[in-house]
Amino acid sequence: MSLAVGLDEGLVAELSAIVGPDRVRTDAGARLARTRVPAPFPVHRWREHLPQVVVLPHTTEEVSAILALANERRVPVVARAGGTGLTDGAVPEHGGILLDMKGFGQIYEIDPLRRTATVGVGVNMLKLNEALAPFGLFYPDDPASYPTSLVGGRIGTSGWSLIGARFGHTRDLVLSFLCVLADGRVVRIGDGGGPKISKSSTGLSLKQLFMGHQGTLGIATEVTLKLYPKPEAELSLFWGFARYEDAHQCVDALAGAGVATFAGAVLFDEAKVAYLRRDDEAYIPQPASVRSVVCTALYGWEDEVRAGGRRLWRIAADLGGRYLGDEISQGDWASRHDRYATPLHGRRLDGTVVPMGWHCEDAALNHPEIVSVTRQWHAIVEELRRRYDAFDDWGTFAYTSADTGVDYLVEIDVGIWEQVLDDGMWDAWVEAKRAIARVAVGAGGSISACHGACRAGDVDVVPEELEGSLAIMDAIEEALDPHGILNPGKYHFRKGNVFQGGQL
Amino acid sequence: MDIQHRSDDAARPATDEAFVESWRNAAYNCYSSGHKFCREVCPVYQVTRDETYLPTAFHANIVAMEQGLVEFEDVARDYVNCTMCGACELRCPNTLFVGDFYRFRTRTVDVVRAARTLAVDRGVEEPAWSAWNAATDRDRHEPVVAEVGVELSRAWASSFDLPFGGDTVLFVDCEAAFYRTSLPQAVAWLFKAAGEPIGLQPEPWCCGGPAAEMGYADQARRFAEHNVADWRRAGARRIVVLDPHDYISFTEDYPRYFGDDYDVEVVLALDLVAGWVREGRLTPTLPINTRVTYHDPCRLNKRKGIWVEPRALLASIPGLEFVDEDRVTQWSYCSGGGGGLAIARPEVTAELSRRRVARAADLEVNAVVTACPWAERPLSNAGAERGMAVIDLLELVAISCGAPIEVPGWVR
Ligand SMILES: Cc1cc2nc3c(=O)[nH]c(=O)nc-3n(C[C@H](O)[C@H](O)[C@H](O)COP(=O)(O)OP(=O)(O)OC[C@H]3O[C@@H](n4cnc5c(N)ncnc54)[C@H](O)[C@@H]3O)c2cc1C
Ligand code: SF4
Ligand code: SF4
Repeated sequence: MSLAVGLDEGLVAELSAIVGPDRVRTDAGARLARTRVPAPFPVHRWREHLPQVVVLPHTTEEVSAILALANERRVPVVARAGGTGLTDGAVPEHGGILLDMKGFGQIYEIDPLRRTATVGVGVNMLKLNEALAPFGLFYPDDPASYPTSLVGGRIGTSGWSLIGARFGHTRDLVLSFLCVLADGRVVRIGDGGGPKISKSSTGLSLKQLFMGHQGTLGIATEVTLKLYPKPEAELSLFWGFARYEDAHQCVDALAGAGVATFAGAVLFDEAKVAYLRRDDEAYIPQPASVRSVVCTALYGWEDEVRAGGRRLWRIAADLGGRYLGDEISQGDWASRHDRYATPLHGRRLDGTVVPMGWHCEDAALNHPEIVSVTRQWHAIVEELRRRYDAFDDWGTFAYTSADTGVDYLVEIDVGIWEQVLDDGMWDAWVEAKRAIARVAVGAGGSISACHGACRAGDVDVVPEELEGSLAIMDAIEEALDPHGILNPGKYHFRKGNVFQGGQL
Repeated sequence: MDIQHRSDDAARPATDEAFVESWRNAAYNCYSSGHKFCREVCPVYQVTRDETYLPTAFHANIVAMEQGLVEFEDVARDYVNCTMCGACELRCPNTLFVGDFYRFRTRTVDVVRAARTLAVDRGVEEPAWSAWNAATDRDRHEPVVAEVGVELSRAWASSFDLPFGGDTVLFVDCEAAFYRTSLPQAVAWLFKAAGEPIGLQPEPWCCGGPAAEMGYADQARRFAEHNVADWRRAGARRIVVLDPHDYISFTEDYPRYFGDDYDVEVVLALDLVAGWVREGRLTPTLPINTRVTYHDPCRLNKRKGIWVEPRALLASIPGLEFVDEDRVTQWSYCSGGGGGLAIARPEVTAELSRRRVARAADLEVNAVVTACPWAERPLSNAGAERGMAVIDLLELVAISCGAPIEVPGWVR
């Protein structure tokens, strides 16, 4: 048996003429592997999201020719970078061509004089930093998916960096990029025209427009990034609190202290600490009095980091924080990327361990709203868990977004046992996602601080959040992609006009 | 729910359903995560940048089979693209963190092997492997060089007066016996120098490891049965191996095949020699005035956690300037020589070795030291392209101890 491919042989031949037959893949393995992202997925409906064909381009010219062809033939094109996005951005909802961008794996230029690097969108931050190390430079985009997400996907999602309070997030760190538009035209998108300019007043700010569009406006190929001197020292400090409210107050005080080397403060709520204590060896020995945790990280020269650390320590101690020791402080921060992936398992109501996927809702909220929102979220998940024994509550995190603590990425992590998901459970989950998004929007926040909100459930609340500005976005999308071939269906752009022909 | 799995060739799945059943929970554990933290360490991915050849895909295929989306035949060939280096398992948070907590570890290497075995049983195997294993079956040794009889597997020892059999027997695998003869010579010389008796195996056949890795389970087992019987006939109680691949076969596969009946001790020549140097029974004295780095062989470093002894040995050689690279950094390196990749995808192996040698060149060394004959061939080929010598660690130790051996490409 083979998958029904609904394959357009003519299209495959034309694509092969562009990139060569080896880089056009129609086999089941190649298509299945590029259909899903780490976020839980109704696995019984996997086949609904298969692309017809996978193409692996290596050059901007190839991408341009592919888009021109797709535009002419009205075939959807979905760009896929690392495939780690948590909002289904890279999932081809309407089939068509899956453009796997990992072939753009080259570092084209390291420019120590201007402190920039120009790389292919298939480059990963970990590998880039390995190459930058000999120059004493580093690229500080540091998501928890640091070892695996790619520069192109960071643009597609306008991702968020764990040390963003010090160095900014992807949108601040990307200076410009080559972008292929739906009709195959290649343009440079930046702040103004200069490829290595970080601030310009010429024209409209297109760079921000092209950040986080989830592959609906164009496809980036080569990116110029802003680099920083590699910090000499990194200091992380973790404190335990008996009350979530006190810990909540503490992150605000840390973020508002005006310490220049401050790279971020993180708040773990009681449910998160309970989850860690349940399933994470490093946290199990923590005394029962530790019910909420605050962590902060500082980056810079050793002397300034030390001085800043002392000040932050005083602030936390004054607010009742109890230092959790060097082992947790250094170890947990050092393993910050892997720890996000700890939840490969969850617990059923009776305590049995099952393989669970990790779902993360990631609102942007101001500080005063965090406690009330997270409590409402827990209630939503609790209700879901009561109805279906396929969900687990893994607690919430809040991360300062910028250096002053104006707003936070606040996420709730939910474990989902995909093996047993059926339509009923999936629908209940999507409804819960809608409710989670509505709570965030109702609190004056945004549905998403880093992942995007184009997935079933949260995407339905986007019109409520954006109100009139959604129509402007829609018009821009229409102007740039008149036939709606780029990642159709995402963000409900021009809903009702989405491509249907690629369905398998 | 039991989420612990062990692969066992004795319980080879006869059907797709049985295959899915034995791996489904392991597959879901990866599928549920699917973040591919393993990706940038996977040597095959680094060259191909093709997601189809990643643990995620290897596991997801099984979920897809369970969902009725594909049959095994549709995806069987994907599993060819793996060197079985084990890097992905080490990098997987499932091993790093929850692995200990739940006593569950990602076992991609076993999944790949099980899939390859199923491919052979199903008749959808890789043609290059099929031809290679047929030649091995006929000649009892891997087709390392042009067709030669198994009796020539001892040709390397002609200048050594070694007895047949005895308490301790040296197992020299095909790659070393026919291709890298300087390595067994170095080992035999070091045994003599240390005053340790060692004998030849009367009729060594291929260890069966490569066959097992490519999915030819019956052949692997047949070869294992011959070797064990041959050791018994020779009165051997201790088998010394010089190739990490054999070490894996003899310490992981053979015990599985023979259970309690498997009563030989298996030791790595490298460990023995390192012990002798430590104890002062061997002292490298001739200076080797050159700058080298060490390539951690996958089967030693990643799969067996052996990385301290090689460094101790390098440190014992006078004159040698050793530029070390962290063993963890080396999780993402591989020569490409293992898991049958060099036979099925020689161009990928060649590129992997090229990249490994290029990294060594960045350290401005004159030579790469390894400890794996399987790595030495592709690395030497890549080294030859840019004038970088490749030498086995034990060859280097032997030279420094005064052994009169000639190592290909090595100028004293
Ligand atoms: C364990 C884990 C931890 C995570 N932690 C974080 C975190 O801390 N911060 C954070 O921001 N995110 C995090 N994420 C989410 C994810 O890593 C980010 O969304 C990341 O930016 C996605 O990058 P990617 O390369 O995987 O892109 P993909 O998932 O492949 O693509 C993301 C989107 O970008 C589009 N796209 C891809 N390439 C291009 C291109 N060349 N041009 C235009 N559009 C393109 C795609 O169509 C898709 O819509 C995490 C994910 C995981 C699994
Ligand atoms: S093997 Fe491990 S690291 Fe790789 S995708 Fe699977 S769970 Fe993640
Ligand atoms: S064992 Fe090695 S080659 Fe195979 S998938 Fe894992 S990392 Fe890649």
